[in-house]
Amino acid sequence: MNWEAILLSLKLAVCVAGILLVAGLPIAYWVAFSRHRWKFLMEAVVALPLVLPPTVLGYYILVGLGPRTFPGKLWQSWFGHTLPFTFGGLLVASVLYSMPFAVQPFAAAFEGLDRRLMEAAWTLGASRVETFFRVILPLSAAGVVTGVVLSFAHTIGEFGVVLMVGGNIPGVTRTVSIDIYDQVQAANYAAANRTAIVLLFFSFLVLSAIYGTNRRAMSLWRQR
Amino acid sequence: MALEVSIEKQLRDFRLAVEFSANRAPLGLLGPSGSGKSLTLRSIAGLETPDRGRIVLHGRVLFDSARGINVPARARGVGLLFQHYALFPHLTVAENIVFGLRALPQTERARRIEQQLAATHLEGFAQRFPGSLSGGEQQRVALARALAVEPAALLLDEPFSALDTHLRSAVERQLRETLSTYRGATLFVSHNLEEAYRVCEELVVLVDGAVAARGPKEAIFRHPPTLEVARLTGCKNFSRARRADDGSIEALEWGCSLRVTQTLAAPLGHVAIRANHLRVHSSTGAPLRGCENAFPCWLAAMTETPFRVTLDLRIGSPPSSSTDHHLQAEVFKREWEAFRDSPQPWQVELAPDRLFLLPD
Repeated sequence: MNWEAILLSLKLAVCVAGILLVAGLPIAYWVAFSRHRWKFLMEAVVALPLVLPPTVLGYYILVGLGPRTFPGKLWQSWFGHTLPFTFGGLLVASVLYSMPFAVQPFAAAFEGLDRRLMEAAWTLGASRVETFFRVILPLSAAGVVTGVVLSFAHTIGEFGVVLMVGGNIPGVTRTVSIDIYDQVQAANYAAANRTAIVLLFFSFLVLSAIYGTNRRAMSLWRQR
Repeated sequence: MALEVSIEKQLRDFRLAVEFSANRAPLGLLGPSGSGKSLTLRSIAGLETPDRGRIVLHGRVLFDSARGINVPARARGVGLLFQHYALFPHLTVAENIVFGLRALPQTERARRIEQQLAATHLEGFAQRFPGSLSGGEQQRVALARALAVEPAALLLDEPFSALDTHLRSAVERQLRETLSTYRGATLFVSHNLEEAYRVCEELVVLVDGAVAARGPKEAIFRHPPTLEVARLTGCKNFSRARRADDGSIEALEWGCSLRVTQTLAAPLGHVAIRANHLRVHSSTGAPLRGCENAFPCWLAAMTETPFRVTLDLRIGSPPSSSTDHHLQAEVFKREWEAFRDSPQPWQVELAPDRLFLLPD
């Protein structure tokens, strides 16, 4: 069993979920509450990874972050190497790829809120930021947890984008799904099976633990 | 004046253009649904931005389109009591009440909670969540929360509409008690005229986004200036009318000529009279006072409540069906019992000083 690949996958998924929690909330806030006429463009961009084959997304990220583009050159001048085939590149690609799985549940939770609760907070003197942290976020907890869990799970399971952008470098970009693929290719079914079972069991455990806790937390303020 | 409002706002198919002012006594904003009451309230609170106009509260300009002033809702010091209360469901009653008091030290916050819980008779509820409270209790929490920040004005948006009827009068009494100690301007929005009449001294009547009447409540009820205002104040009987030469008018739909004591400068459009101002007698009974504007009438239909009856009456000839009537009269049961068994036609009297003459 390849513990190195499992740990790498976990590290990647935790980083992606964390970044999407921080970056996804403001995007979801804008998508949910803005009355901007071009809002639908942002919604479409966020949802793109849902319809694109991972290879297409991976290809554009590979080229877009490569040494010939402006963002690629900028990155190279700061860090001395290009993004593709590094953990950083994998992270950027994974964040983009999992974006809808975080932003859409966040935005759905925000849109489901009673707008008058926000207005009540404003008339009581709360700023927009204060209203977000004291009213919107606590009341959207279920949607936020769902978004974080989904982006975590989605990152663990991704394959195509990793292969395109990360390649297959042990300890750097060889995640569990790539590792299993490798072992199957090498006809090493016993090893593939062990890794797959660990992954399956772990994923089930994490998801059921979070959904279970989530339900209990929500029931706190649904007592009627 | 504590609060001066003069605003205009154009929506897709609705135009709001209102102007009024309020001092310390509660001002009632009365109007049917869709008349712009809530939009007016939300504009004052800073939740909507008018296209043009000015809002001044205790000398402080909250909004002035000409000078580009638009104070955000959080800095207006305007408390808003929402129709459905909008309590924060994840916070306790005490946390709801001090929501707007984060800047105060802990001891002062605790004091305010005590003070508001006592003022709204909610002692013992501090640690409860809104979801476990009754509608009346939730309303009191919402009021306590709005008053805790000591707003310069308090706006109440249909505060009783979400309550069961049997709760209303108790909640309403409590609200009046709380308001009597409040020192800011109070604006009370309602579509229920009796409610507005009980809570407020002065009324502004809104119809289709414009002020249709304003002034002391008795004056508006005694002399409604337009057909819509008369209808809104509960008047049930209307007829198109035409002026005749000899100090009388002709009620076209009622088919009778009526003597009037007042005059109307504008062209006459309608004549109206309240159901409880009509007097009904048997034709043979006691002589009528002066017998002015008395007509033979037949009963078309009747509805009974514990203490009164509502009679649908037709003037001049017997009705062809139970819906064929001219006037709706409301009389006490005792009076009704005096003529109920006498033969029809009865007599209905439209006292000249009770008639409303309404412009076209």
